[in-house]
Amino acid sequence: MIARTLRQLALVLALALVPALVSGAWQLQWHAQEPLAPGEVRLATARMWGDQVQWVDARSRAKFERTHIPGALLLNEDEWDKLVGPFLDAWDADKTLIVYCDGGSCEASQAVAERIRTELKIGGVYVLKGGWAAWEGK
Amino acid sequence: MGRVGGKVIAVLRLAVAAVFLVAGVMKIWDFAHARSATPDFTITIQHYELLSPDLSMLLAVYLPWLEVIAALALFARPLALGAAAALLGMSVMFLAAIGSAWWRGLNIACGCFGKDEATTDYRLLILRDLALLAAIAVLFAHEWRRARAA
Repeated sequence: MIARTLRQLALVLALALVPALVSGAWQLQWHAQEPLAPGEVRLATARMWGDQVQWVDARSRAKFERTHIPGALLLNEDEWDKLVGPFLDAWDADKTLIVYCDGGSCEASQAVAERIRTELKIGGVYVLKGGWAAWEGK
Repeated sequence: MGRVGGKVIAVLRLAVAAVFLVAGVMKIWDFAHARSATPDFTITIQHYELLSPDLSMLLAVYLPWLEVIAALALFARPLALGAAAALLGMSVMFLAAIGSAWWRGLNIACGCFGKDEATTDYRLLILRDLALLAAIAVLFAHEWRRARAA
């Protein structure tokens, strides 16, 4: 009986896999990519989340003022104490935070994301893989 | 099984299938915005802080279809036992996830029926899931007996 149950269960699981694969292939970009570090999220995923994302710019103020992702909030380590108030005022608990820095080997986004998690006790904070460079498509 | 018992099983089967079918479809398609609901469900899963973003996305794609297929398979005699087992497993998993979120003090939406569900009232959710689990357990026991007698 257990074997019969497991056989049927496997069949149900496999049947569900067929539409899921079709749906997944349609919705997601399935191609080999560099693995994600813990807490990182790809630009394709972030775009899929659409307006549920609150971007957080961890770069310098000068870079932020030059250009940034539309709607992004400035919050960097250099001006943390000054920026954290306005950041919390603008923060929407229903949105998912994604922090970005320049890209490549920059570590500012990881540092800011960690401070948001630990000091501000906000969960659901991610770091954009590839940072600003990924956004710019470089 | 008597006529009353048969009717009870039929009602339970319909109720459980309806719950999972609606829950699955609402996680697949956002009718309010005429778009895929997968991205929203991915975020809902991530708010539980149990899985990585990639795993959350895979689960968001697969789980709703499993809910739909298992709900439908509940009416197919050769698959009903497996379907009941799948629904039982999912219910236990949902209870564990909700219980864990409650224990960790997370204030998140359940996402059980898509993204528009109100903020989690953990007591109510756990009671609801326990009732669902009990109904599925009855169905599973019924299918088990029926398969053994066949």
